[in-house]
Amino acid sequence: MRLLRSRLFAALVLTPLLAGCFASQGGESKESGDGKDGSRLRVALAFPPAERLSPYGADATILSRLGVAEGLTTMDANGAAAPALAQSWRQEDERTWVFALRDAAFQDGTDVTPSAVVNALTRATRARPAPAALFGVTLTAEADGERGVRVRTAEPDPILPLRLSSPGLAVFSGKAYGGDGGDGGNGGGDRVDPVGTATGPFELTKVDGASSATLDRFDAYWGGRAQASGIDARFVADGTARANALRTGEVDIAEAVPVAQAATLDRDTRHDTATTRTTSLLLNVSSGPFEDPKLRAAARAAVDTSVLAEGVYEGYADPGAGIYGPAVTWADGKRVKPVGRAGAGRAKGTSITLATYDNRPELPEVAQVLKQQLEKAGFGVELEVREYSRMESDALEGEFDAFVLARNTSVDTGDPVAVLSGDFTCDGGYNIAQLCDKDVDRAVAAAERTADPGERQDAAMTAEAEILGTDAVVPLVHQRVITGVGTSVRGVVLDPYERALVGTGTRR
Amino acid sequence: MRQHVAALLWRAALAAGLVCGIGLLPWLTRTDPALTVLKARSAERDPTPEVLADIRDQLGLDSGPLHLLGQWLSGLAHGDAGRSWISGGEVLPGVLRALGVSLLLMTVALGVAAVVAALVCARTLHLGARRRLDGRRAGGTGSAVLAALPEFLIGSVLATVVGVQWGWLPALGWYGPQWTVLPALALGLPAGAVLGRLLDDLLPGAFDEPWALAAAARGIPGRRIARQAVRRCLPALLPNLGLFVVGLTGGAVAVEQIFDIPGLGRTTLQAALAQDLPVLQAGTLALILLGAVSTGACRLAARLLVGPALRDGALTTLHRPAPPTRRVQPVVHGAVLIAVVALGLPRDPLALNTGERLREPSLAHPFGTDALGRDLLARVGHGALDTLLLALAISAAALCAGVVLGLLPRLSGPLVDTVNAVPAALGALLVTAVAGGGATTPALAVTAVAWAPLAAHTSALLAQERVTLHLAATRGLGASRWYLLRHELLPAVLPPVTRHALLRLPGVALALASLGFLGLGAQPPSPEWGALLAENQPYAERAPWAVLAPAGVLALLGALAVTAAGGVRGPGRRRGDRTPDVPPARPPSPAKERVGAR
Repeated sequence: MRLLRSRLFAALVLTPLLAGCFASQGGESKESGDGKDGSRLRVALAFPPAERLSPYGADATILSRLGVAEGLTTMDANGAAAPALAQSWRQEDERTWVFALRDAAFQDGTDVTPSAVVNALTRATRARPAPAALFGVTLTAEADGERGVRVRTAEPDPILPLRLSSPGLAVFSGKAYGGDGGDGGNGGGDRVDPVGTATGPFELTKVDGASSATLDRFDAYWGGRAQASGIDARFVADGTARANALRTGEVDIAEAVPVAQAATLDRDTRHDTATTRTTSLLLNVSSGPFEDPKLRAAARAAVDTSVLAEGVYEGYADPGAGIYGPAVTWADGKRVKPVGRAGAGRAKGTSITLATYDNRPELPEVAQVLKQQLEKAGFGVELEVREYSRMESDALEGEFDAFVLARNTSVDTGDPVAVLSGDFTCDGGYNIAQLCDKDVDRAVAAAERTADPGERQDAAMTAEAEILGTDAVVPLVHQRVITGVGTSVRGVVLDPYERALVGTGTRR
Repeated sequence: MRQHVAALLWRAALAAGLVCGIGLLPWLTRTDPALTVLKARSAERDPTPEVLADIRDQLGLDSGPLHLLGQWLSGLAHGDAGRSWISGGEVLPGVLRALGVSLLLMTVALGVAAVVAALVCARTLHLGARRRLDGRRAGGTGSAVLAALPEFLIGSVLATVVGVQWGWLPALGWYGPQWTVLPALALGLPAGAVLGRLLDDLLPGAFDEPWALAAAARGIPGRRIARQAVRRCLPALLPNLGLFVVGLTGGAVAVEQIFDIPGLGRTTLQAALAQDLPVLQAGTLALILLGAVSTGACRLAARLLVGPALRDGALTTLHRPAPPTRRVQPVVHGAVLIAVVALGLPRDPLALNTGERLREPSLAHPFGTDALGRDLLARVGHGALDTLLLALAISAAALCAGVVLGLLPRLSGPLVDTVNAVPAALGALLVTAVAGGGATTPALAVTAVAWAPLAAHTSALLAQERVTLHLAATRGLGASRWYLLRHELLPAVLPPVTRHALLRLPGVALALASLGFLGLGAQPPSPEWGALLAENQPYAERAPWAVLAPAGVLALLGALAVTAAGGVRGPGRRRGDRTPDVPPARPPSPAKERVGAR
């Protein structure tokens, strides 16, 4: 009897202890039986929140993909600015824009007023480090009448509406910025709490560290009530695990299924979308064998991109056409032939180091195929593969002769020119090719100055042609992202800019 | 008492040294923490000087490592482990939660390991209880193969087959008891195989002791004798069990990843890569504490099990008599391995042809092809030499270090616990910080941890060996300490520890491959076996042969090492204390003959 009692006691003590050792599953179902209210969506996302869902870092993408937060504008499928919280906008002068707000409400019940928007934008400009979309931009915002917000920039900024579509500049109610939550210490001051303070169709109700988040439908969303009653998001870093989650029916949508796992999904559950991510071979122009433009041309000629697209990416990629791929819809019609390319020289056993990183599983494979192709052309190739953060500074310092890089060509602002100036100009902060070419700099600067969207695109393509002409970069493939979508799910937003995933029309 | 205090101080000094080492890590490796933190926060963000300066400012990096360390330590005194450099969230709740998850996983995995170990030993126990063990040796191939299989391979097979295809158990997540089964199996199967092998190695010796014979003669049931035999052998195993407790808690990174478990392994790995020092320090400290606790518990358990005997010096030496070793198994394993390598060598391991990717085994490609269409037989064959030489060299170095340090248990005990508690990625980073990124660094990094279980094993065996009767007798005859060591202790300890080292040989090859992310070790397209397994793992479901080939040869290597090591015996062992008990029915062993000749 005593034994039984002590066991019972042990069980009573152990049960809550054990429960503490499990993760919470989230999604205490608000699910109601009638189909009208819609059921909850279960989503597996690839990148766990790194900074407690702070909108000023990469976590902003999570908020925008789940339909939690939005800014004054949004980006449409063609990469142009479209209305969001701002119904319309006009340019007053070179440095001043006025945005007219629509009638919208925050998820905490307050209205979206000019002062709330001004507060949100001002907070974003004060965040340290600044949100990527505000890099190099000094911006002030002030209320303009009942429904207007006037935004001034220190320098003329022709792409301001597009810039404001960045998830990093989403608008939250004053409550989100209310104090630092006792944070003190690092990062405490700028902490933004996105739980229940944004304006999107879904409202964050609970965040469980870096493992899951629970969202409910926000019924007062200005764009109409969402069809799904809520979202249970799980952050699953491992690609195979995400694919498995979809296959076992544990989730309805699995983001970014790796190419290697695509074949394990049923044909009707895998959806591939062209993305703005281009994998390219960057050749070190300033030191080593690739100083010689003839050798660069030889390397370009040696590369067979269709083998990469078919053989490594299994068709989930398009052979490299330029710096911008097919996801940049306007690029194909405006492409200019590369200018001033050198004739291919002979490699004659020149030995080079080819580096890449293993955070994206396909890149080491790409590098190995390239190694063989380059060796066939007479190069001697040595591979170097590391984890990305362990190699970036070496790459930026030009330690390697060649580098295989997967780069999102529509960085943060959505402006196509930004990637050109960052990666290929003398002052570029991410110039792995170490390119410093007068003609390129001039062409990029011209594109940066151009305000009219169409002309800006033309100028970007001219600059692209200049850059390709130096052979400092060999575009290899334009990646397609594979999204696993359960067969009963409709209306998933497959966005080439990877900013949206669940929308008001997504339902199960 | 003084000894205890000294041990405690030593332990504390090691822990403090490690925490300081972590605190200085970025400055030692000359890797800017602002950069790694930025990449962990947002991989796509360009590292412009302004952004890095902001982060440095935010984290207070400019005040230098010592100031940061002092700040963290003074916070720790108030139970505040600081804030994560990546997320800005409090460290302690997160680490404690991850620790809870990992402890639970470890507990279930040890349960699985216990069952596996029991199965491995079942045959020996069965035969021993009936006193029919003479001249028979457990084959050990099965358990050696199991011990050689990497956790991530077992994990992905279980997740895909049991979780996804059969749908019997959840394939990922961590929400309740049924979620623990598959990950625990993945961790527990190889761990159980190792522990089972170690136990199986000792059991025949226990059954050979006088008490067992006397008990059998007295008519005590075999079952009870078997139970006592296990009890007699367990103390030698406990230190290794203690190491598994910590190793499975902090080192289950691969399994946590496959099953998406929010455990401590992933937390510390991410922190090590991003140089999120507060999290890394807190996580490592938690593991060190766990190590100290588990060592204490193991010591207590050992005392409960054989305490009086230890005190009274009433043990006999626990080593089975050398049986007539049958040399068939190792020869078969060796022949198969050599045949595979010989067939592979004439082929080209680097020629890739993406048109032929992931082909099934056929006449043209007997082992199939990998994801880039390379011939797997060729890759396995060409990888053999590098893998074997390096792994053997590391195992030998680890064995030497392990035995030498194991002879000095007071010095090495806390050191073993500390080394074992260090997460693998952190260990590699620390070694790189000290040794630089040279060609020998990966070997050093693996050796730096591989000796620990061997030292623990040595110490445990030694503790028992020192109090055996025959040692007391030899000492009584005036033998010097040096003589005792050379002629009595080492010959008794070396064979089982060598077998243990060989059992872990495949693990060494895998550990080497796992350092690749730091740019250490084999770089693609080198066909080193561990690297082969890692690069083909994503294709395990679509092209099982691509992982089966390297896993198979590794397992074969494990089986070869273990079966061949069955013959590893100390030369010239004296078995004076044992000879009278030798049952007359047993064929005279070589050892006995030598004793007789003396």
